[in-house]
Amino acid sequence: MSVDVTAEEKVAAGGRLQGTKGSSGGHSTGKIGAYLLLSALALFALIPFSWLLLAAFDSDASISVEVPKAWTLGNFTNLFANEDGVRLMANSLIYAGGATIILVVVTTLAGYALSRYDFRGRRVLMLGILLTRVIPPTATIAPLYVIATDLGFLNTYHGVILILAAIEAPLALWIMKGFFDTVPIEIEEAAWVDGANRLQAAFRVVLPLAGPGVGAGALIAFIGAWNEFLIPLVLISDQDKIPISIGLFRAWVSYTQVDWGFLAALAIIYVIPAVVFYALARRALQASLAGGLAGT
Amino acid sequence: MRRVDGWRDRLTVMAFLAPALILIGVFLVWPALWALYQSFTNRALTGLTAMNPSFVGLDNYTRLLADADFYASLLRTVTFVFFSAIVGQTLFAFLIAYLMANRPGWRLRAVPVFAVIFVLPLAVPETVAALTWASMVNGTESGLINRMIGVLGAGPIQWLQDYAMETVTIVNIWRGLSFAMVLFIAALEGVPRDVLEASMVDGASAWQQLRRVTIPLLRPQILTFLMLTTITTFGIFGLVYFLTRGGPGNATEIIGIYIYNQAFQFFEIGYGSAAGVLLLAILLGLGTYYVRLMRDQV
Repeated sequence: MSVDVTAEEKVAAGGRLQGTKGSSGGHSTGKIGAYLLLSALALFALIPFSWLLLAAFDSDASISVEVPKAWTLGNFTNLFANEDGVRLMANSLIYAGGATIILVVVTTLAGYALSRYDFRGRRVLMLGILLTRVIPPTATIAPLYVIATDLGFLNTYHGVILILAAIEAPLALWIMKGFFDTVPIEIEEAAWVDGANRLQAAFRVVLPLAGPGVGAGALIAFIGAWNEFLIPLVLISDQDKIPISIGLFRAWVSYTQVDWGFLAALAIIYVIPAVVFYALARRALQASLAGGLAGT
Repeated sequence: MRRVDGWRDRLTVMAFLAPALILIGVFLVWPALWALYQSFTNRALTGLTAMNPSFVGLDNYTRLLADADFYASLLRTVTFVFFSAIVGQTLFAFLIAYLMANRPGWRLRAVPVFAVIFVLPLAVPETVAALTWASMVNGTESGLINRMIGVLGAGPIQWLQDYAMETVTIVNIWRGLSFAMVLFIAALEGVPRDVLEASMVDGASAWQQLRRVTIPLLRPQILTFLMLTTITTFGIFGLVYFLTRGGPGNATEIIGIYIYNQAFQFFEIGYGSAAGVLLLAILLGLGTYYVRLMRDQV
């Protein structure tokens, strides 16, 4: 399984070991040092967010960090009362939600096949898919634009959705395959014996058991699509169809005319799903970064 | 797992795999091949050559290799990757994690609030990370960092004007450092205690233990993380573009921004593709090594 789980088991074992030793003076200095270092790092991680948190509740915000003279929720009510604000949020939801739905369907199917069927070239295919993970849109953005133009994808929801789904597909596929690997084949075989055919067994027995994995894959895909900046920057010029990332950029570029409080409120709304989903999928994400992709 | 046997099985597998492979094929593999093809043409974004690009052979590449701006951009990117991904997010994060892991009677999991905080810089969208840092390094006297150094008597600094590359490098270190540290702490705490204790009994110093036992044991995790963060950092666009748009001048024009500018500011799709192909070559080289690291898992 994942590196993370093993690490935690070992940590638990280590904790027991340490417990038997008791703590001396040297230990507590070490502990204080560790806490100080951690706190300094936590401050470094958090301070940049101070502007976001203060400006969003400031009735007269600027680009600088200031404690609001008058605290307000007005920026948030403006955001939801304002047609542009609502449209930005709706657009981001359409792009990320659409990409996630497509991705879950196609990677569940492919992940199941790669996990359950042994065929010639399966290994090479898995490694090839992994290799496509390293292709960033940055490198292929020029041809991607030409292809999108030829397919009539410019300024369309479905075009951006498909491209975002493709970008997230390799990682999601690996995660799905890993989770299917953890569902014992015996369970599926039992269903066959009971008269279910392969497809019925796959959908009724395996899929529910692999549910958490499918969920993790979906969350990771949603985050990636939700955060994407370059693809909509290049493919969407229609003001009515831009997602939040581009809205933030356009507002920031217009610098002098921008309502900073409104911008900060928008950024906070934009951050919430990303952070919540990230927290939910953290374990799968860590495993995928630290070497042991879940599975095997 | 079951061997594919007969036409029904083969059909099922193909039907299951097809949608994902088509998606990846059309929007990831095809653009990469198309980039290679276009890099031999003079295709432009608009005008006559947009409709009828003609072959120009290796012209784009000879031009690219003679383009001082391209070299400058490539060198800038390598420096950016070296300091933010390799030194900052890997070396420095590992060092901090090493100082922190296995502290007697203490572990990171015991303080979940820290784990949440450390995930934030990476969890927020890159545009928001850039926006918050834009406020931090704002060049006026009221910018937060300028206020901090003001306490020490230093004058306001135009960070994004005078120290643009340094600033974006630090922003990228900030983004990855704490998350990497959490990963490394988990990995370090996973090193079996008895192995460490055995080496201590054998009289190994802390340094010898780190070099001979801990690092070799964690080599796969460290290398995989290093490869992934290096590859991702080479492909960064939004974080830097949002903050500086590659400026001032082209002081922060990393390779991603260079490609974007060639293709969409100067409308030279063919030339932009050629630069993209070179980036792709670097990434596929690194990617092949990454895939080799992962090979045992298939």
